[in-house]
Amino acid sequence: MGFSDSTKDKVTEKQLVKDLQAGEMGSFEQLANLYHEKIYSLTFNLTRNAMDAQDVTQEVLLILFRKGHTFQGKSAFSSWVYRITLNASYMKLRSRKREPNVSIDDLLPSFNKAGFQQEKIQDWSESTESLLVNNEIRKVIQKAVDLLPDKEKVVFILRDVEGLSTEKVGNILELTIPAVKSRLHRARLFLRKKLAAYFGEFKTRKESK
Amino acid sequence: MICCKECIELLHDYLDGELSPEIEASLEEHFADCPPCIAFVNTYKSTTRLCKDTLKSNDIPDTVKSRLKEFVDKNKNT
Repeated sequence: MGFSDSTKDKVTEKQLVKDLQAGEMGSFEQLANLYHEKIYSLTFNLTRNAMDAQDVTQEVLLILFRKGHTFQGKSAFSSWVYRITLNASYMKLRSRKREPNVSIDDLLPSFNKAGFQQEKIQDWSESTESLLVNNEIRKVIQKAVDLLPDKEKVVFILRDVEGLSTEKVGNILELTIPAVKSRLHRARLFLRKKLAAYFGEFKTRKESK
Repeated sequence: MICCKECIELLHDYLDGELSPEIEASLEEHFADCPPCIAFVNTYKSTTRLCKDTLKSNDIPDTVKSRLKEFVDKNKNT
């Protein structure tokens, strides 16, 4: 949803970016409309703090306003916006004391010498099918994502949450495609294990009722 | 036959349909005989879906939205 009906994007983003590069600031409001939710959502998922997300969104919009004309078009405009957003979010995070990340390797699946799974794997997927995301699950998921190491977290958020393509994520983070895939897979494995701990317990609780 | 470890390493590409038909067939052959891997695949997919549903719904609070609008209005008029 944009700020107002009068600024509906009738012109293509490409043209708006061209106008911004040419210093025509009329395009700024429309680009802000197109991007402010994406910027806010990405920042909120990285910082988990509404105030920080608001600050970063303003900061990024201000950079678009003041420095939009310096955008050179070497990569997509959206990649540029995402990169600025990530940098601003990391600056914000550096100023805050954070919980240390846990080692991702401790939460990856374990196998025996023959390469077969060692743990008992419960299939809790069915109990999530009809599940509405309630506050308890939301907190479990948010906490698990917050514990992800930064390298995996950012790939997971851009790819799985924001829905960007593998290529696009590689472009934004300057990573190869195999590197994006590997980090995303590690993030998913980590989160699966965290959710397994929750749903395993959830199932046990339900069965004992 | 390939083992669980190899299957799980290839899971990302398998779900994206990016494996060669031969490797995909080997994975499916393994899954047909390995309930723990089926449980793993199902819960891996559920994890992705649940996380997306949860984290995608970061709607901007109305107060923040109006502050951002004020901010944009102020700047566009400078």
